[in-house]
Amino acid sequence: MEDIIVCENLKYSYPGQEGCAVNGVSFRVARGEFISVIGHNGSGKSTLARLINGLLEADEGNLTVLGMNVGEGKNAVEVRKHVGVVFQNPDNQMVASIVEDDIAFGPENIGVEREEIGRRIDWALSAVGMEKYRHATPARLSGGQKQRIAVAGVLAIKPDVLILDESTAMLDPKGRHEVIEVVRRLNKEEGMTIILITHFMEEALLADRTIVMNRGEIVLTGAPEEIFKQGEALETYNLSLPRISMIASELRAAGMEINNVLKPGELAAEIVKNFNRCGIFGGESSSPAPKEPESAGEWDIDIKSLAFTYSKKSPFATKALNGIDLHISDGEFFGIIGHTGSGKSTLVQHLNALIKLPQAEKKYHKPKAKKGQPVPVLPSVTVGQFDLSDKKTDFKALRASVGMVFQYPEYQLFAETVFADVAFGLKNFNKKLTDEEVERAVKDSLEIVGLNYEEVKDKSPFDLSGGQKRRVAIAGVIVTKPHILILDEPAAGLDPKGKREIMELLHKLHREWCKTVIIVSHDMDEVAENCTRVAVISNGSVFACDSPAALFTRSAELSALGLDVPLTAKISTYLGENGIIIHSDCTVKDFSEKVIEVYSGGADA
Amino acid sequence: MLNDVTFGQYYPVDSFVHRLDPRFKLLALIAFIVLLFVANNFYALGACAVILIITVIVSRVPVGSVLRSIKGIIFILVFTGVLNIFFHSGETVYWQWGILKVTLEGIIFTVFLMFRLFFLVMASSILTLTTTPVALTDGIESLLKPLTFIKFPVHELALIMSIALRFIPTLIDETNRIISAQKARGADFESGNIFKRIKAMVPILIPLLISAFRRAEELGDAMDARCYSGSKNRTKYKKLRFGWRDLVAFLFIGALIAGVVLFNIYCYNIFPQIYAYIRIS
Repeated sequence: MEDIIVCENLKYSYPGQEGCAVNGVSFRVARGEFISVIGHNGSGKSTLARLINGLLEADEGNLTVLGMNVGEGKNAVEVRKHVGVVFQNPDNQMVASIVEDDIAFGPENIGVEREEIGRRIDWALSAVGMEKYRHATPARLSGGQKQRIAVAGVLAIKPDVLILDESTAMLDPKGRHEVIEVVRRLNKEEGMTIILITHFMEEALLADRTIVMNRGEIVLTGAPEEIFKQGEALETYNLSLPRISMIASELRAAGMEINNVLKPGELAAEIVKNFNRCGIFGGESSSPAPKEPESAGEWDIDIKSLAFTYSKKSPFATKALNGIDLHISDGEFFGIIGHTGSGKSTLVQHLNALIKLPQAEKKYHKPKAKKGQPVPVLPSVTVGQFDLSDKKTDFKALRASVGMVFQYPEYQLFAETVFADVAFGLKNFNKKLTDEEVERAVKDSLEIVGLNYEEVKDKSPFDLSGGQKRRVAIAGVIVTKPHILILDEPAAGLDPKGKREIMELLHKLHREWCKTVIIVSHDMDEVAENCTRVAVISNGSVFACDSPAALFTRSAELSALGLDVPLTAKISTYLGENGIIIHSDCTVKDFSEKVIEVYSGGADA
Repeated sequence: MLNDVTFGQYYPVDSFVHRLDPRFKLLALIAFIVLLFVANNFYALGACAVILIITVIVSRVPVGSVLRSIKGIIFILVFTGVLNIFFHSGETVYWQWGILKVTLEGIIFTVFLMFRLFFLVMASSILTLTTTPVALTDGIESLLKPLTFIKFPVHELALIMSIALRFIPTLIDETNRIISAQKARGADFESGNIFKRIKAMVPILIPLLISAFRRAEELGDAMDARCYSGSKNRTKYKKLRFGWRDLVAFLFIGALIAGVVLFNIYCYNIFPQIYAYIRIS
């Protein structure tokens, strides 16, 4: 088949930066191929995308796209008609406030006739399954929908190659699934060549061929099954194995024969095969250690019939919370999970009174009871000693005790030095602290998040790397030693290694710094792996609240809500159909141990 | 799904006025403003009021929403009113103190002026209540088209307006998020004197500014990647069309304009008549 892209020894370095971002990369892409590119942050994946699209010009080497030498004359502009790129942030790619106008932008730029633009909009919208939203405004769409519109905007130029530059990194699982399905369909049905740059190993598995980049170089290339077999090699490139490969290698270590498979059903079949070979046709694992009974702690959180509506009394009123009852005990590592827009962020903002209960507002008047109508139930929230429905509560003291780290907290850094930024919260809450006390607290909190105090304190926070910025931002919240720490999507947008490190940090904080940690997430695996208890929020109410082990036995119900279940729960379900009952706490480690327990137990008998 | 551009004043219902061509609405507003200042008697002003009332009724926007727009300019209204009442010269003097005096002519003139301003604001807010900002931008771009001949960058201007509109909701969201985050770190925006409050804005403005630059850079890349290279050889997908509604509205407004002009000619100056009437009684 014809090679659509030919790279030979491409090199590029950013002006003013040491080292090459892309350092001697050579590869070929055939028409209709689906390629995934993985690599840690800064490995040169995105630079490569920009080179292929002509946004950057290579310092050295040859790049030919559709027979055009991209380095020559006006080809760098011409090549953009043939290679479309969808970027990471769905918000920063749209120019118009109406979907069809935005999709028209590309074709208008290359001078397509009016009627033809109309036809292309029809086609592009149906290709991404967004026909209904032709006249909608992007601001009201979900992340996944916005990103599909961005894909449509690129498709309308009718490119031969579609590059997705971490286009799923900022989306929730549902949105990610939507975008990936669109891409797969384009590849299968329209024969479009796809280059998918991603941090999600599960997405990389879908390609025909995977390229692994490390420090500007291609270090591995081949079929995804082959790539993910090389567990340790991947680790040295700062990548993580997909969870399914982790389980497979644990089982292999226990003497089971497991082929390289990439789907939960297939892995379950492999396990069953092993069991049957040993004459095991059923079995049940022990249950995870029972949880300690809940005891009322000093810092329990108690939420009763919490309801909240945005833009009340306007034509755009939207109900965010619809009667939430929830109890979070002192000392828990708690997970709150749900779709974007399920109300989970609204819920946690009540816990430190960023959103106040109606009774706590200054202007609040008790509604008069109307005859014949039931007295409305007032919401109540208590956090430790604080009664949030009381106007007289010291909300500032509350906020010092309930730390809140928002999504992408690095975007809220502002001060000239790391020291000043971290000290900001501390000085706000306690104006009487001496300089020594401030310094000690800042030093402690920077060190517990894993930064070298002397090294970073005088630096501008904007000169740090992405991962370091996030740590500084977290330090700026925990500096007041809050009892409860709430984090909204703490690992969003990080590469696999960064994600792992952040979760390790949170466990460290939970042990040594804050008693209760609450994370808001949409990643089921992340929650299953880390939390002691999980609340599932759906449409503004609590669908279920339980330990992962108990919660994820209800996988059918969760799927019906459009929520994912952790990989381990999926495999358990398949195994259950074959008479092998696994009671695990849904972490990869425990799940593998339980499978091995049944396996060796059966083999002994 | 209807256009649901919801920021600004836009009131999302479907009506005759909502469906008019934005260019027509813009031109009609300009015509109406000219008319307001041409009208020199209460009959002509009455005709203007008729145009307004009918438009409000046909637009199906609640009267309350239209009147709410007055809130913003109430200070200016009162200020000009007071200024005129005390400084306007006239014959029938009711009260005088130094150069300040209140005259019958002054009162009539002030009432007249207040109505003019009141109608002007009402008419503009009907435009923004019934037209999405996007449609307005399209309308302005189309009306400015002829200026391309004198090298006026109409396309660039329109693109800037379009991008600005597109990012308003995004930046509002972002601002709210940053405010919440800094509040969670104990920032206080509500107390202290004006200087303290301005200083308290720094932790909001700097992240907002940095993020705006980051967004601008990313948007620039995305536009480049989508083959943007200025207005040269560019086509335009959306074309505005005058429809039957515009014709109907045009005839209606035309008739009323004629009415105002006739009143202006035949009731040359209404002041003396009212003046005379008051004096007789």
